[in-house]
Amino acid sequence: MESQLSIRNLGVDFRTPLGRVHALRDVSFEVPKGRILGIVGESGSGKSTVIWTVLRLLAGNAIVTGGEIDFGGRDVLDFGEADLRQYRGEDVSVVFQDPMTSQIPVLTYGQQMLDVLYRRRNMTVAQKRQLAVDMMRRVGIADPESRIEAYPHQFSGGMRQRISIAMALMMDPFLLIADEPTTALDVTMEAQIMHLMRSLQQELQATLIVVSHNLGLIAQLCDEVVVMYAGEVVERGDVRQIFYSAQHPYTRALIECDPARVLERSRALPTIPGDVPDLRTPPVGCVFAPRCPKVFDLCRTVAPPSYDAGDGHEARCHLLHPEQGDPDWPPPIGEIRVFESQRPASDGRAPAAAATPPRGGVAPAAAPTAPLLEVENLRVRFRTAGAFRALVRGIADPHVDGVRSASFALRRGETLGIVGESGSGKTTAARAILGLVRTHSGSVRYQGRDITNLPPAAFKPLRRDMAMMFQDPVGSLSPRKTVLSLLTEPFDIHRVPVEDRYREAERLCDTVKFPRNFLSRYPHELSGGQARRVGVARALALQPKLVLADEPTAGLDVSVQGEILNLMAELQRTHGLGYVIITHNLPVVRHISDRLAIMYLGRIVEYGDSEKIFAQPAHPYTEALVNGIPRPDPDRRRTLVSIEGEVPSLARRPPGCEFHPRCPYAQERCRIEEPLDRALSDGRTIRCHFPLVA
Amino acid sequence: MALAAPAAEKRYSERREKLAAFMQNGPGVFGLVLVVLFFVSAIFAPWIAPYDPNALDIPARLSDPGWAHFAGTDQLGRDTFSRVLYGGRVALKIAAIGVSLSLFLGLVFGILAGYGPRWLDNLLLLTFDTVRSFPLIVLALATVAVTGPSLELVLVIIIVTSIPGYARLARTSTLALRNTEFIVAERSLGAGNWRIMGRHIMPNVVGPLLILGAMDVPVVVTVEAGLSFLGLGVLPPTASWGTILNEGYLVIRDTPWMVVAGGVPLVLTTLGFTFLGEALRDVFDPRLRKGS
Amino acid sequence: MWLYSLKRAGLAVVIVLCTLFVLFALLRFIPGDPITIALGPRATPEAIARYVEKMQLDSSLLVQFLVYAKNALTGDLGTAIFSERPVATIVMEVLPNTLILAAVGLGWSVLIGVPLGCFAAIRPNSPLDRITGFISVGTIAVPAFLVSIWSLLLFAIELRILPVIGAGEDGDIVGQAVHLILPAFAVGLGWVGYLARLVRASMLEVMGENYIRAARAYGLPQNTIVYRYALRVAVLPTITLIGIGFGGLLSGAVFAEIIFQRPGAGLLIYDSVVGRNFPIVQGAVLVITIVYIAATLLADLAVAWLDPRVRETL
Repeated sequence: MESQLSIRNLGVDFRTPLGRVHALRDVSFEVPKGRILGIVGESGSGKSTVIWTVLRLLAGNAIVTGGEIDFGGRDVLDFGEADLRQYRGEDVSVVFQDPMTSQIPVLTYGQQMLDVLYRRRNMTVAQKRQLAVDMMRRVGIADPESRIEAYPHQFSGGMRQRISIAMALMMDPFLLIADEPTTALDVTMEAQIMHLMRSLQQELQATLIVVSHNLGLIAQLCDEVVVMYAGEVVERGDVRQIFYSAQHPYTRALIECDPARVLERSRALPTIPGDVPDLRTPPVGCVFAPRCPKVFDLCRTVAPPSYDAGDGHEARCHLLHPEQGDPDWPPPIGEIRVFESQRPASDGRAPAAAATPPRGGVAPAAAPTAPLLEVENLRVRFRTAGAFRALVRGIADPHVDGVRSASFALRRGETLGIVGESGSGKTTAARAILGLVRTHSGSVRYQGRDITNLPPAAFKPLRRDMAMMFQDPVGSLSPRKTVLSLLTEPFDIHRVPVEDRYREAERLCDTVKFPRNFLSRYPHELSGGQARRVGVARALALQPKLVLADEPTAGLDVSVQGEILNLMAELQRTHGLGYVIITHNLPVVRHISDRLAIMYLGRIVEYGDSEKIFAQPAHPYTEALVNGIPRPDPDRRRTLVSIEGEVPSLARRPPGCEFHPRCPYAQERCRIEEPLDRALSDGRTIRCHFPLVA
Repeated sequence: MALAAPAAEKRYSERREKLAAFMQNGPGVFGLVLVVLFFVSAIFAPWIAPYDPNALDIPARLSDPGWAHFAGTDQLGRDTFSRVLYGGRVALKIAAIGVSLSLFLGLVFGILAGYGPRWLDNLLLLTFDTVRSFPLIVLALATVAVTGPSLELVLVIIIVTSIPGYARLARTSTLALRNTEFIVAERSLGAGNWRIMGRHIMPNVVGPLLILGAMDVPVVVTVEAGLSFLGLGVLPPTASWGTILNEGYLVIRDTPWMVVAGGVPLVLTTLGFTFLGEALRDVFDPRLRKGS
Repeated sequence: MWLYSLKRAGLAVVIVLCTLFVLFALLRFIPGDPITIALGPRATPEAIARYVEKMQLDSSLLVQFLVYAKNALTGDLGTAIFSERPVATIVMEVLPNTLILAAVGLGWSVLIGVPLGCFAAIRPNSPLDRITGFISVGTIAVPAFLVSIWSLLLFAIELRILPVIGAGEDGDIVGQAVHLILPAFAVGLGWVGYLARLVRASMLEVMGENYIRAARAYGLPQNTIVYRYALRVAVLPTITLIGIGFGGLLSGAVFAEIIFQRPGAGLLIYDSVVGRNFPIVQGAVLVITIVYIAATLLADLAVAWLDPRVRETL
């Protein structure tokens, strides 16, 4: 197979004030022509550095220490300015991760696209414009003739990413690189973009490199895969080889940790313990040795070369050594886990039935009769414009409903997952429960007591019982306070007398396995995972009964998100906590929640036992979400996109059933009549005229 | 990805790192030297000055710089160099009181505007915008028309016109913080508004204001000099850099040295504080590099 | 764009009203009888009676203010003491001089400062960058009025190559231009450095943005990236700050007029303060303030024209 691009023995260092970081070491792989290559890695793997090197757009402190990048017979690393100008945009093009910041905000798309076409000197302006319009239409932008004169900020994220793809493909490049193309997008939009990329690639027979940490995306999209860890290529092969017979322990562990892959619900998610090594001093032997469960002596002393596993499949692991390796390695994926002892001794779960005992270990009989939390018909409104501005702009009612109507309940020891995409109202609902935003109508009851819109002074004592964990782990900690003062602040606020603050703080650290000697650190000195632990510890400081966690795994690598989740599950078992988990990450929420509430545009559209919902979604939106999860299984590729369009703006809600414009099953009745909550035979509540399940 | 350095060592090295960064900033060190010079010469003027600044010596009037008088003498025979040193005391006094009061009030107003209710914000904004709509000298002239010239007047004008600058900065920072997760987190813990404003917002907002303050000192000193030059502020016979310039301007055809002597300390002070302020900003808060 | 302009102009009007209020209040604080202050010590009883009638001095303060405001906005700024000429006329006679001085001062500093900052940002740490930095700091360090004094000293008195005082004779364009050189130089010098640093800092920040990186990845030529993309964004905060700084420019112009004895609104105010001719003070201050407010309005409109996101903020 002919290669579009060949990378051989590439090495890149970064000069930092703290020393020289060896970000890439001896990286080699081929990009076959007309195929899609995926580069998989977690943070620190160097996958982004590779593509910046291919584009020759590295930061000023980067040094290429060796190797070559062969493109069409020439070494890209030797290109001069003129060559690079020809190369970039014409031969190679990029789709960036964040469409919100990678497009200049002060020029219209028309202007930007015409600029990109500057090289086509034989085309008139009108012809260029037509090409741009055609490209926009091809990527699914409606009415491109007029939309091309609009500015980027007038488009949503999904649209902007589509236009990024259009701009990248306009020049018909030989190679297209997509850097985390769907990371910033919602699940349903992700599915659409994936589908778009696949169809465009087939149509244009383009060569594509997709960089991602999302195994599902890679499995769904790519033909070949390169797995990177800590600056090295640890394995490469075609997609089925990687997913069905991975040779490197890291690859296997990565696949096993992916919650989307773990098909049966498991109480504890696997993780890879330890951290990525400090790349200023990479280990002498195999770079994965410190964390590898199959490590043996050779691994620590000799860096493994790339062993051939047959058919173009290679892995850097001594287990494949002809003499010293393990002849029984590897076992088929799924049969024996790389990490054995992740499950607690007794699972003790009753089979899915009407009365699933809560995972907190508190049997229903012993639980208090009143649910911990009851929310009924919650409605939260926001003002979009001040009175004066509304007058000036002629807006009759300057409000939108962040939450239109939400009802759910939570018992002690239970976990409820609230799932939705952007604009669903899930975070707003959480804040309304905690009294941080005003409830317009409906009620929130805590342990039977009505706490809706309780005045701050009256609410304050309740805050000891209800704690929140925030999405941004470092950002939710006051920047100029040490961890010690952050952990003990709840005691000050609620005037709880504390004999020894230090001892209390240490106790909290131990609960969440946070190192005690970090108490004097400031938030910006903590890693994401450490900051999250501080968030958990602080939430638990006053021994709450209810914890609301907003996106507890956001920003965490797949191999470490299990740590936080397992910790939360353990704490739930020990203290009988009730959790409300707010997230858009379906694979994760499936494993950790007892019940689910799926939200769309501020309403709960489906509510009930989470296993049932995943097994058989009853609402078309739920079905779209569940089907939209990219499964890390190359043989199960979805060929159809189950949902089109975008989430409508809260200010312009569709009539009738608000989901009907995007619903593949919509009928006449859905356009006119708003559906009401109704119960299904298995105990679920659903808001749909034509549920998919009786 | 956590680096392996243990906590104590890391924090220590962060402070050291900042100090080292500062020391490497050439202009910053230079500025520091000038600033120290300013303070020392102003505070110790009575001991350093060779003559009493008000001592007349008519026969020696309007002499050129020489060994007897480093900067020459003015039209009444007073030693210009001594007057310059004493002028520094006036500058220091105005700078100290002016900057600290405006900073403090600006901080308070800014935080209130940013964190408080919308109507308060609008009211304060309107007030600031109105005050800022008057070009400084024009406002000073109009006010002097009302009250007559004095040092106190200069101080009040400076403070009133400086507050909006600090308040705006504090307000912008407060607004940015207001919706950050950590403020919401504090509210979810039960912290009240005053606690949040005082313990969480203020420490994060005051940093840029202090740096603005450092860079504001030369502005304040210059304004005082300008107003005194016009006869609107410090009045003769008190020595201030502005009055020296005023008197020098009146005799400019007879001797150039007074306007030089009155102006050089202004330039040096401005250079010093500007370099220092920028070095501090680069070291502590590089995000502030944007514009004013 | 039009809607935004309208709203922004409305805001400007509100601020003008507030400044009117301040000026009104200010003059009420003058020790002394408002009538004597307005009309001078030698006013006749008839003049006094007419004045009381006209300004409604018998009515409440609110009414007085409204009368004052209405008068001011329709161009009636009262009459000067002694000369009895309308203040508005007096001010308008000299205002063009001030405006020309401010415009020329700003103009030449923009023509030099902005490109300097831009080139310095394109090649950071190059010799050009270092020289620019040096010049910038040097020019910022010397306050405008000091530049006026020293340039007067150097060019007019010591070297005798430029005129010392005045604005030149009417009709003599060349002479007027020559008289403009030193004051405009003094007014603009500090701005050269200020603008250069501003533009440089802004450009450096913009050049690090993601969309610039994306533009490079698309292979756009360096010129397009710098001038059409980076500069266009970087210049926005610069324009805003020029608008805000215009007040300082006017202050510098006032000093220049006083030092060079150049007729203009600034010198007028100064002389009137000294001569205790309050109606002129009040009227001229109002006019200059309105000029400043208009400048900030223009700056904001320019930014909104260049940056479409701003249009949605009002």
